[in-house]
Formats: sequence, C-alpha cells, structure tokens
Amino acid sequence: MPTQPEQADRDAAIGRLFHAKAEWHRAQARLPLQEKVRILLELQRQDLPLIVRRRSLRPWERPWTITP
Amino acid sequence: MSSLSDVFSAINRLRDSGIVADYAVGGATAVLFYAEPARTYDLDVFVIVRPEDERGLAPLAGIYGWARSQGYEAEAEHILIDGVPVQFLPAHNALVEESVREAREQIYGTVTVRVVGPEHLVALALQAGGAKRRERAYQLLEAGGVDRGRLRDILTRHALPRGILDADST
Repeated sequence: MPTQPEQADRDAAIGRLFHAKAEWHRAQARLPLQEKVRILLELQRQDLPLIVRRRSLRPWERPWTITP
Repeated sequence: MSSLSDVFSAINRLRDSGIVADYAVGGATAVLFYAEPARTYDLDVFVIVRPEDERGLAPLAGIYGWARSQGYEAEAEHILIDGVPVQFLPAHNALVEESVREAREQIYGTVTVRVVGPEHLVALALQAGGAKRRERAYQLLEAGGVDRGRLRDILTRHALPRGILDADST
C-alpha cells in the first residue's frame, strides 16, 4: 500500500499525464487545415491494411488520390 | 494531381449551376475544420435540393446527371470527384436543413467552402447515434470550438439529449 504522500504524488503524476494528453489533442485541433488533411491522407493509408484484416472493404474505401 | 480545394470547387460549381439550392460539408471532413483529424474515406455533403426534385422519387437525380455531364463516375451511393468519393445526402429532417442553412463559410486554400458549424455537427452526431459518432461529438467539445449555449439551444429545439453538455471540457 502506498503511503498518503506517495499516493498524492502518483495522483499528481497521472493528472499531469492526462493534462498533457488533452493538450496534445487540442494542439492537433489547432494545426493548419492543410496539415490536418495531410494527416488524414496518411491515416487513410495506414489504416487500410488494418481494416482489410477485420472485414472486406467497401468499394469506396481507399486512400484519396489527391494532394492536401 | 488534384487537391482537396479542386473537390470543393466542383461542389461550388454544382451549387452555382442551381441543381442544388444550398450545400454544406458534414461528417468527419467537416470535423477537420474544428478538431483534430479523424480517419474517413468519404466526404459527406448535405444538400437542399430544388423543390421540384424534392417532390420526385429520386431527389438526387439532378446531381447524378450533373456528375455525368462533368465526367465524374458514380460508384453506388458515391460520386468520385477528383479521386474523392463524395456522398450527397438530401436534407432529410429539420436539423439537417438548419445545419445547411446556417453552415459556416470556410476558406480552404483559395476556395470558399460551406461547412456545417461545430454545434450542429455535435447535434447531428447525437441524432445519428452510435459509438463512433458519440466519440466525434466529444472530440468536437474537447477541441474547444463549440459554443455551449448555442449547442444547448439546438439540442433543446430538436428534442435531443443534453447530457453531453455536462461532460468535462478539460
């Protein structure tokens, strides 16, 4: 069992982790639009093999052949 | 290679041709304008069709005819515009219609594009239901661009659950 100060330190560390994670998501949201589209195109390419492993693809499920 | 702004330009040309009275980009592509990117493979566009098309059995027939005339292929429920599968969805209820009419004009590159506002995106996600859409609603709230007073008003007027407003926004 952790002592009370140890528990407080642990809670504070976990709080900082969640705060940093939330801040990272907010920073992603603030990226320039074209950078977000670049990320979207990358996600489309990365996720496709993972989807194929789970189920068959719908005809329109393929990475967009565009630039941001 | 085309860019996403070419796709938005094509949708503007559709609106300018008068085949649709108005449009707004919705779904995950609209979320991009307000929150972090989430993977999607299609682009949803809500449209208000002409009254004469609305009364017919195929309200999107005019759009499919326009697509053919532009050389865009139809693939089941999507139209392939410059490599992007675009799904046109008629404004089928009061919330969708309001979302289109009150959409925001955003600039992408040099192109103006009408995009459903963040409060309406949350309301649409809650109305459509499902885990993925609920996650999208929370994502929008956490990004910080949602006016909670405006969202409350929309949810109340369209008789949608307001529990999401109690969610921690940090």
